[in-house]
Amino acid sequence: MTTLVFAMLLLPAIAAVLMLVLDAKATAARARGFALVATVATLILSWSVAYQLPATSQQAGPVTTRWEWRHTWLTLASPAPAPTVVNHEALSPNVIRGQSPEEPKNTASTSKPQDPSTSRSPSGDFINLEFYLGLDGLGMAMILLTTGLCVSAILVSWSEIRERSAEFYAGILILEAGLIGVFLAYDLILFYAFFEFTLLPLFLTIGVWGGPKRRYAAGKFFIYTLAGSLVMLLGLVSLVVETQSLTGISTPFSMPDMARALQDQPLPVETQTILFLLIATGFLIKVPMFPFHTWLPLVHVEAPTAGSVDLAGVLLKLGCYGFLRIAIPMLPDASLTVGQPLVAILAVIGVVYGSLCAYHQTDIKRMVAYSSIAHLGVCMLGLFALNAEGLSGGICMMINHGLATGALFSLVGMIHERYHTRSLTDLGGLASRIPLLSALLVFISFASIGLPGLNGFIGEILSLLGMFQVSAIYAVIGTTGVVLSAWYLLRMVQVGLFGPLREPAGDHSHVSDLTVREGLAIWPLALACLGLGLFPQTLLNLIEPDVKALAVIYYEPDEVIVQKTDAIQPSFAMTNSTAIVTSDQAVETISSIQTGERR
Amino acid sequence: MSQPDAAMISSVTSAAGKVIPELVLLGTVCINFLVGPFLVTPSGRALPGLRHRWGGIAIAAICTALYLWWTGSTEVVTTGPFRVDNIVWYVRGVMLIAALLLVLVNWSQIEDGKAAESHACLLAITAGVNLVALANDLTTLFLALELISIPTYLFLFLPRKDAATQEAGVKYFLLSVFSSAIMLYGFSLIYGMAGTTDLPAIQTALANSNQTPVLAILGMVFVVAGLAFRLTAVPFHFYAPDVFQGSAASGAALLSFVPKLAGFIALIRLLEPVVDAAPGLLLADVMLPMLWWLSVITMFVGNFLGILQNDLRRMLAYSGVAHVGYMLVGLNVGHHTTSVPDGIEALLFYLAVYGLMTIGAFAVLIAAERDNKPLETLDQLAGLHRVRPGLALMLMVFMFSLAGMPPTAGFLAKLNLFFAAWAQGDVSNRWLALFMVINAAMGSWYYLRVVGAMYLREPLDEHHGSHAPAPIIASVACTAMVITLFFVPTWLWTMVQTVRSS
Repeated sequence: MTTLVFAMLLLPAIAAVLMLVLDAKATAARARGFALVATVATLILSWSVAYQLPATSQQAGPVTTRWEWRHTWLTLASPAPAPTVVNHEALSPNVIRGQSPEEPKNTASTSKPQDPSTSRSPSGDFINLEFYLGLDGLGMAMILLTTGLCVSAILVSWSEIRERSAEFYAGILILEAGLIGVFLAYDLILFYAFFEFTLLPLFLTIGVWGGPKRRYAAGKFFIYTLAGSLVMLLGLVSLVVETQSLTGISTPFSMPDMARALQDQPLPVETQTILFLLIATGFLIKVPMFPFHTWLPLVHVEAPTAGSVDLAGVLLKLGCYGFLRIAIPMLPDASLTVGQPLVAILAVIGVVYGSLCAYHQTDIKRMVAYSSIAHLGVCMLGLFALNAEGLSGGICMMINHGLATGALFSLVGMIHERYHTRSLTDLGGLASRIPLLSALLVFISFASIGLPGLNGFIGEILSLLGMFQVSAIYAVIGTTGVVLSAWYLLRMVQVGLFGPLREPAGDHSHVSDLTVREGLAIWPLALACLGLGLFPQTLLNLIEPDVKALAVIYYEPDEVIVQKTDAIQPSFAMTNSTAIVTSDQAVETISSIQTGERR
Repeated sequence: MSQPDAAMISSVTSAAGKVIPELVLLGTVCINFLVGPFLVTPSGRALPGLRHRWGGIAIAAICTALYLWWTGSTEVVTTGPFRVDNIVWYVRGVMLIAALLLVLVNWSQIEDGKAAESHACLLAITAGVNLVALANDLTTLFLALELISIPTYLFLFLPRKDAATQEAGVKYFLLSVFSSAIMLYGFSLIYGMAGTTDLPAIQTALANSNQTPVLAILGMVFVVAGLAFRLTAVPFHFYAPDVFQGSAASGAALLSFVPKLAGFIALIRLLEPVVDAAPGLLLADVMLPMLWWLSVITMFVGNFLGILQNDLRRMLAYSGVAHVGYMLVGLNVGHHTTSVPDGIEALLFYLAVYGLMTIGAFAVLIAAERDNKPLETLDQLAGLHRVRPGLALMLMVFMFSLAGMPPTAGFLAKLNLFFAAWAQGDVSNRWLALFMVINAAMGSWYYLRVVGAMYLREPLDEHHGSHAPAPIIASVACTAMVITLFFVPTWLWTMVQTVRSS
């Protein structure tokens, strides 16, 4: 297992380095072939890891791992280590500080006896940064999404990228390694390091291979998210400091240890609130939630297809994932009192605003970008319902939105390659020219809308159901997002694919339907959408222990189980009408749930 | 022979015993200065390739010093003109490795006829920095600082003869002399208060005096001002961009690190005993707010002006100013003791990492030079990645490290400082941490511009520049260390903790 996980993490990185070192001037054919082999190998590795992953964790607490590997990275404060060269017996603390021995000492650190077994800080101990890798169901699901989308990303770049191919594919591989790293990291600083690191390959990918305004877009993306991350770092460091001084645990950077310690001894609410706001800044920008979303459409429009696929498919989920891993388990009171209303309001604004913006776009790619803002709003509504349904729904949304949006961006990229435009004013009736591609676009649009039987449905319904139990008004407004997404996506389908054929000026007789290579990129995603739509329980089973562990912080354990079965049983083969019935049932049960004890 | 003479001789011998690595360096300096002129014709011409030999000698001398440093006795001595303790051990190691890198950086920047003198200056500066750390007496400290300054004038002046270099050299000379004078005035005030130049004795005197140490406060303010010139802390930074821009890249590389190292070590040495010992903490009441403001202003001004620059060396000069601001945070926090990690530890870690980043960046700039003309504007880096992909990659590593992005040592260094400032707990220090965050975001903008120029723009021409091995070796070594120290920071951190194991 350990070997497999390391192979999965390192393989893309090593492949990228090999490609850059051995064959930096490779032709496009050689580079993409090699990259494809590497990503497929990583995909296989990730599935074998998933196959071996235990069904439940042996650990207790809100954040658990089912597999882990720890190695000390940096010990910030500890007893002085025995130096290699310095003769220790000759040292006394006074001598080192340059103070004469008779002098009274007024500081704690100088008055400590020089004994290697005692520690320096008053609260006392090591503060370790660790290389702490772990896996749970959530991380595993995200890793499978990443490895899957990266294969598609390579395939859709096949003919789009002609210049500097080796570097482009190396960039995608490094990005993949970074993303896998984020989902494996269980140490706060390691998480932050991977989180930041993913910016670098994406910055270059957008800046070098992007559209006309690529440099501006790349710069804006980098600075915007970096600024958010730095505020988040401030929050993370203060979280660690506060936790360490409150609980005295020796590994305050370890997420599971910290979450357990804080479960026993929560931080004061005021502290939690400040920390929540700091940490949320970084994640809200990454998601992106409503007022912080301005970078997203620009970046998507300028990014090459592969960049868009990875960005929308996985990178945006880092924000949601961060909330799930850090804010929700560590800061329960703040998440409930401040986070829930704040995120819910921003999310519903994002849902409505994103949908309206999406409707008014003529550029299909821009429309998909705005639809991401709306869909992730629904996802965040689910997560911040802070109950088992909402959390499961939010996580399902993360996966499903990744699949559907990744596929949508791929399809838009394919259309762009054929016609060199993505504008709905130039395109129309494409179904008669490229029927298979159009059919897939319709199918994926349906998945994105959340048609029952496809994957988007289960996530949306669970998220909204979860939110409904907390506040009907947010859920109702959130539900409009589903309607609105049908509105704008179907308009795109209607204008772009059906009706009279409209093509941009020029000769388009050579335009062909879906090629085998494009099919390989898109069919697996489409099948995954269908598969998760028909058998959502596989995903729900994978994440269930993690969701339960999280939800327990907010509700009593027995109640969680009851709610969960209630919510999931009817959602198997629902149609739109039954969904409404379920919501009505939820209204009846809502009183019992709201009286449930909140910690 | 009378008795006092014997005692004197033995005390001289024992003092000399503490500075053996420095004696090796200074001995080589003498050889260079004595032999060098004889190998050059009166018109200044020399055998082609002579600089390789002088470079080799310099490297041999530094390696010998490194060996002596590693194997030498580390018995702690606190009396006499030299003090030997763990800080000395650390500074010697850092400075000798930096000197090794600087010799490589300087290798191709100097004509054959001037190589002897140039490398000799470098060795003398190295010895000077080590002696700053060793100094246990105001006089020794001042002499050691001058042993850095005077060869630096020469070092800046030697590589080129154009008006810009001369202007830079003169500017640095005048301001350096001015700062030395200010510092000396401060020393004299402290001497007037304590009646001795011996640092431990000054400390005892401060501890035992019952009055408000007005003289000491005044003296320390002057000393900090004098040292701030070397650190290029705002408002004493204004010469730095001009001098960096005018001098050869090797000179700028030297200035970007060595005076800062010396300045910080001197500050640590002076402030610790003096501030800690002052009665009623009145001295600390003046010094700490002063350092606080110095730190805040330095980082903001450095980054603001850095954003505005188009000249690479001016930009790196302002980047250096900003980094001094960050490091001053460590000094601020360090004096509050009990925090975890200690601010001084974080500062020492940062110093070493900063040295690697900045010397590495200059090494890349030298390696990318065309026709021995230094790279000046950002535009000259455009498309470097197409022409010299390896150099571009390394410069990107240094830029991201300076910006504090993972996976580079610059990230951990900044994190440590940040952690030290936040963990210490005082509101004022938390503000410092907050300002550091704001500045890190601001600073990343101009580092990103360099990366953007190299990677996102097309080259102006297909000129490949020189392929001299020395600067490339230096930059590869720096890159390797900057990345390795991210994954295995324990190596350096253990040494830093040894320094502060109290």
